[in-house]
Amino acid sequence: MTGPGTLSDRDLSCLVSLAYLDGIGPATLLRCVREDGPAVAWDAVVSGRAGRVAALRDLVARQGVGVVGALRQAASGRDPDRDLAAQQAGGRHVLVIDGPGYPARLAQDPAPPALLFAAGSPAAFEAPAVAIVGTRNTTRAGRDLAAELGGDLARAGVSVVSGLALGIDGAAHRGALAAGPGSGLVIGVVGGGLDVVYPRRHADLYREVSGRGLLVTEVPLGLRPLPWRFPARNRIIAGLVDAVIVVESRATGGSMLTAGEALERGVPVLAVPGHPTVPAAAGTNELLFDGAALVRDATDVLGVIGVDASPVAAHRGGTREPGPDLVPLWRLLGAEVLALAEVVERSGIPLEQVSADLARLEVEGWVVRRDGWYEACRPDGRPR
Amino acid sequence: MIASISSSIVVGVDGRPVTVEVHAGAGLPGLTLIGLPDTACREARDRIRAALVASGAEWPARRLTVNLAPSNLRKSGSGLDLAMAVGVLVASDQLEASVVEGRTFVGELGLDGTIRAVPGMVPLVDAATEAEVVVPAAAAAEAALVQGPLVRSVGTLAELVHALRGDEPWPDPPEPPPAAPPPPPPDLRDVRGQPVVRRALEVAAAGGHHLLMVGPPGAGKTMLASRLSGLLPDLDRTRAMEATRVHSAAGLPLHGLVRRPPYRAPHHTATMVALVGGGSDSLRPGELSLATGGVLFLDELPEFSPSVLDALRQPLEDGVVRVSRARFTGTLPARVLLVAAMNPCPCGEAGRPGACRCPEGVMARYRRRLSGPLLDRFDLRVDVTRPQVGELLGGPEGEPTALVADRVARARHLARTRGVRANAELDQSRLDDVAPLSAEAQDLLAGALRAGRLSARGLARVRRVSLTIADLAGHPGPLTAGHVALALQLRVELSSIHGAAA
Repeated sequence: MTGPGTLSDRDLSCLVSLAYLDGIGPATLLRCVREDGPAVAWDAVVSGRAGRVAALRDLVARQGVGVVGALRQAASGRDPDRDLAAQQAGGRHVLVIDGPGYPARLAQDPAPPALLFAAGSPAAFEAPAVAIVGTRNTTRAGRDLAAELGGDLARAGVSVVSGLALGIDGAAHRGALAAGPGSGLVIGVVGGGLDVVYPRRHADLYREVSGRGLLVTEVPLGLRPLPWRFPARNRIIAGLVDAVIVVESRATGGSMLTAGEALERGVPVLAVPGHPTVPAAAGTNELLFDGAALVRDATDVLGVIGVDASPVAAHRGGTREPGPDLVPLWRLLGAEVLALAEVVERSGIPLEQVSADLARLEVEGWVVRRDGWYEACRPDGRPR
Repeated sequence: MIASISSSIVVGVDGRPVTVEVHAGAGLPGLTLIGLPDTACREARDRIRAALVASGAEWPARRLTVNLAPSNLRKSGSGLDLAMAVGVLVASDQLEASVVEGRTFVGELGLDGTIRAVPGMVPLVDAATEAEVVVPAAAAAEAALVQGPLVRSVGTLAELVHALRGDEPWPDPPEPPPAAPPPPPPDLRDVRGQPVVRRALEVAAAGGHHLLMVGPPGAGKTMLASRLSGLLPDLDRTRAMEATRVHSAAGLPLHGLVRRPPYRAPHHTATMVALVGGGSDSLRPGELSLATGGVLFLDELPEFSPSVLDALRQPLEDGVVRVSRARFTGTLPARVLLVAAMNPCPCGEAGRPGACRCPEGVMARYRRRLSGPLLDRFDLRVDVTRPQVGELLGGPEGEPTALVADRVARARHLARTRGVRANAELDQSRLDDVAPLSAEAQDLLAGALRAGRLSARGLARVRRVSLTIADLAGHPGPLTAGHVALALQLRVELSSIHGAAA
C-alpha cells in the first residue's frame, strides 16, 4: 500500500473527505492541497467557516454564501479516518499528488487530479502509454480495429489507456487484455467511484481490468459518474499518455474533447481515417484534416512514440486475407453489411454455394453473422 | 319406473358417453336434476317441460328424478336436453323402453319442441356407445363425418316421437346446402423475389421445422406466412379427424372433414386461455389446438405476453396441451408448425447496422421478452428484407404453390420411409443412420463446432434441417457441404438475439 506522500495522515484523510463534498471539484481540491492544506480546509468546512480559507474563498465568492452551509451540512457525519480506510481497503491504492506512486506524467499536468484512487497494479504507470478512445456508436470495423490496436500495442509493451465505455473503449480494453501475459498492461480511467460500474454491461470488464491491469479514478468510492465527470475523466486520460488515438468519433463526440485536452498538453493526437459519409468517422476525419497523424495499424502509433514495433510484426506473420476463392465475397461484405438474400443477389452465386462460402468464412473468422446480417472482419480482430 | 337413455357430452375436444336416468315415482310433482349439471344443463328442466307440452305429449304429474351418470363428471351445455326429454317420455310410459335401446340422443330443445344443434357434434357422435345416433337435423352433415354409427336426424320432438313409435318413417336428412368451398389459400406465385425466405418456407413445410422470420415492417412477413399452409400436404384420416373434432368442439363452421391443414393467426393480445386452451370450468380448445395439423402464425412475437409464450413450450414439445384445473384435467391436441414473425427492434429498422433509432435499453428490453427456451424451439430463422422496387413492379412471378407443394410432398414421403411424419421429429440417436455426412460436410461442422459457432444441440438441429434440404433436392446419400452450409445459415443463434453488440 502506498503511504501518504508529503502530506500528514490527517491531511490525507481530510483530502479524501473533501473529495466527497458536492461543490468541491478537482480544481478546488487541488488548491486545498497546494495552498492551505486539506486538514485546515476540512476544519473550516466543518466549522462553517469555509469562506475564510484561501482555497475555498473563490468557490464561496462564485456560488454565494449558501454554499458554506451546504458544505457544512454535507461534511457533517463524515469521518475522514473512516473515509480513508474505506478507500484503502481491499488492496486499493490512494495516490496523492507529489506523493509516491503518483504517475510522473500527471504530476507535470496543468490540471492534475489531487487524488487518484486505483485498483490493480500501479506498475502500469511506468510503461509508455497510449490512449485509444472513440464513440460508443461504432461500426463493426471500428471495434475490430480498436481491438487490434489494443492487442498490438499491448504486445509491444505499451500500457493501453481507455475509458471503459461501450464501443471503442471496451473493444480496445478487450483487445489489450487478450494479448495475454507478458504484454503491456491495461489502464481503465473511469468517471465514478471504483465500486460503481458504469456502464453496467461492462461489469466483467471492470473486474478484468482491475485484476489484470489498473483501474483509476479521481472520484472516491460510492459516487456515481455525473455527466460533468466524463470531460474531467478525459483530461486524466490525456494527461496519462504519450499519444491519443481516436478510432471513431462523431464531429461532436466526447473523444474530440479528449483529443482537445491532449493537444493542450502537447500530447500527439492520432486518428483513424474513415469514409466521409460515415457519421462515426466525421470527427476523426476532421482531426486528420487539422493535422493529426494517421493511423493504419499499431506500427504507425509505435513510430510516433518511439517504441520498437518488432513484437507486432512477429505476431502478425499469417495471412491477411481469406483464401483466393473467397476474397470477392469477403470484399463484398467488407463494403456493406448484408442479409443472406442480399448476398445471393449481389454476388450472383446460387444460395447453396453462397451458404457454403459464408460458412467457411465464418468458421475461419473472416465473417461474423449477427442477427442474420453478415459483415467482414479479421480473425485477429474478433471481439472477445 | 326407470328409464335409461344414452347420450354424450364434450370435454375439451373429446366426447364422453353419459347415461341419462329418469325415475318417475310417487310424490309431489316436479323434476330434480342431479349428477353435476352446470347452469345451462340445469335449465334443461324448463325447456323439456315446455317442449313436451308443445309437442302434444303429456307432462307427468309425478315426482321425476333425472340423474346424469357418471355422476363425478361435470356436465355442461344443453346437448343432453333431448336425452332427458326422451327419458321422461319413457319413464311416464308414453314411449316403449325398447324403442330407445341401441340409440344415442344428442341435441338441445327449443320451447316449441324444435331440436337445435349444439357445438361439438363430431366428438359427441364419436363418443356414442350405441349403433344409432339421433341428432338435430341442422347438425346432420357434421354428425355424418364420423364413420361408424347410423345417424338419424330429426327436426322436432314430435317428429322423433312419431318415428320412434313407428307411426312414420325416419325423416330424410336435410339436403346439405351447397357448401361454398373455402377460398383457396393464397399462392406463393404472388411472392416476387425473396429467394431465401421462399426456401425457408419450403424447408419448414417439408421438415416440420418451426420458423422464425425477422424483418422490418412492410417486408412481407405476414404475406409469406399465410402461404405456408398451402405448401403442406393434405392431412391423413387420423389427423383430419383430430382437427375436425377440435373445430367442431369450438363451434367453427365445418365444410366436411378438415382435410387441408388449418392456418391460425391469433392477435398478439391473445390471453393464455385463448392461445393454449383451458378455462376455469371448461376445457375450451385454444388457437394452438385449432391450428393442430396446420400452421400457427404468431405475428409480432415479442408483443405477446411472455407468460403466454412460455406456456407454448411444453405443447410444442409434446404435441398436446395438458390442462390441469381444480375440477378436471385433460389434454387437447397441439401438433402445429409454428411460424413467428418479429421486427428486429421496436422501431423496426434494426438489422442493417446504423438504421435503428431505438435506445440501447429499449432494444435490450424488447429482446428480453423472448425467452431462450422458446427461441430454442425454432429450427429456422430467416431475415426478411424489404423487396427491391424492381421486384415489386413487374418482376417475374415466383414459383407457384403447386410446384413447391409437390416437392414438399416428396420430401414428406421420404420422411415417412424413416418412420416419422417429418424430419423435425427424428430422434437425435438416429441421425447418424438416416443423415450421414459427406467428408466436406463433416469438416464444415467440425469447424463450426471448434469455432464455438454451434452447440451440440444446435448440431442435431442443423443435421435435421440439412436432411430436409437434401430431401427437397431429391439428393440421396450423404449430406453435402452445400446442404449443411445452408442449414447453418438458416439456424437460430440465441446469443445474437440476446447478447447485444458490445
